[in-house]
Amino acid sequence: MSQLALQHYLAVGAILFSIGLIGFMTRRNLIILFLCTELMFQGVAINLISFAHFHGNLAGQAFVIFVLVIAAAEASLALGLVVLLFRQRGTLNADAWRELKG
Amino acid sequence: MTGLLLPETLPAFVASFHVLGVAPVLAPTIILVLCAIAGIGTVLLLPSKREGATRAVGGVILLTAGLIFAALLVRAGAEFIQAPGTGMGVYFWIFSAIAVVSAVRVITHPRPVYSALYFVLTVFASAGLFVLLWAEFMAVALVLIYAGAILVTYVFVIMLASQAAVTTDKTGALAGLADYDTTSREPVAAAAVGFALMGLLLFVVFDRAQTVDPVPATPALQGTVQDLGHYFFQYHLISFELAGLILTISMVGAIVISRRRVATATGLLTDDVQPDVVHAPATPIEDNPHSIPVQGTENPRQKAYPET
Repeated sequence: MSQLALQHYLAVGAILFSIGLIGFMTRRNLIILFLCTELMFQGVAINLISFAHFHGNLAGQAFVIFVLVIAAAEASLALGLVVLLFRQRGTLNADAWRELKG
Repeated sequence: MTGLLLPETLPAFVASFHVLGVAPVLAPTIILVLCAIAGIGTVLLLPSKREGATRAVGGVILLTAGLIFAALLVRAGAEFIQAPGTGMGVYFWIFSAIAVVSAVRVITHPRPVYSALYFVLTVFASAGLFVLLWAEFMAVALVLIYAGAILVTYVFVIMLASQAAVTTDKTGALAGLADYDTTSREPVAAAAVGFALMGLLLFVVFDRAQTVDPVPATPALQGTVQDLGHYFFQYHLISFELAGLILTISMVGAIVISRRRVATATGLLTDDVQPDVVHAPATPIEDNPHSIPVQGTENPRQKAYPET
């Protein structure tokens, strides 16, 4: 119990990623959908940081910074889009935009 | 150019993957069974029209699966650690339990504000894990950016967009919530796919044939801001500048996307937009002296506040 290996952290990252994926597929609120993508980002970030630590270099930490940048950009754009969509239909239901299926 | 961007340790990193040819630490059947049990629990726990008791049963099932998995990991832990890993195992278990439980609550709580707050809890627990991995700067950055900036934006948008949401008049725990918050889309299929992915990932992680040789880290060099800055400007200079560019572009894009175009009091539009683009549901307050009639809508009673 006192010793930890890379696998422990990878398992936590995998579990967080899968939970975020399930939430993305099941929830119908647009805001929660984007919250679930942030959850998936968390799992990826834990993976990268643990690889950085167990390999003794800083590449993983550098990539987590890029993940944070993309997450911030995605959050601002996505929430702007959500506000726009909410103004047009008055609902946050993702099914209100069914005609957008490609 | 690519040679410049790659760290010098990459060949050693690639060479550190080696095949041992022994059985995986956790048997695939155990992982599969646990994932199936957790999937059933998640289906019961996801927002739906069921009563609270059924959801509580789902929570208990999910919690049991998680505890069994953790216990198996603890028991098998001594076997697959060849080199001394990091210490502080107790904190790892606490932080990861908080992270996973609150992540489950994020996707199962019917109220969006609570989901966002549970996500903050996940972020704090992840920051704790980062500190255990000697990544203090990343932990601070995570708390500042996620819990400080992104989540505040989320909560703000939830407040903004949930005001006029059509609610079904219910009593009990789901009172005042919109229909799309209290029901899930295809919970069984989504849980099956998600937990199949989780089982596969866990199988690969604990497959001893793919074990990565742990390189003992030097904690004194790890995670200090100075080293990270050196690393950035040595190997990722262009990417670093591009990241700033992406942030700027997304900020401009967010403003352009969510800008509301309203008519002015004199009947002229504020800029060169055509009247047919004004179809925002404006604030329907008739007797507010500051409200302005919106042009281009079919409802003549629609009015808006002047915004720039």
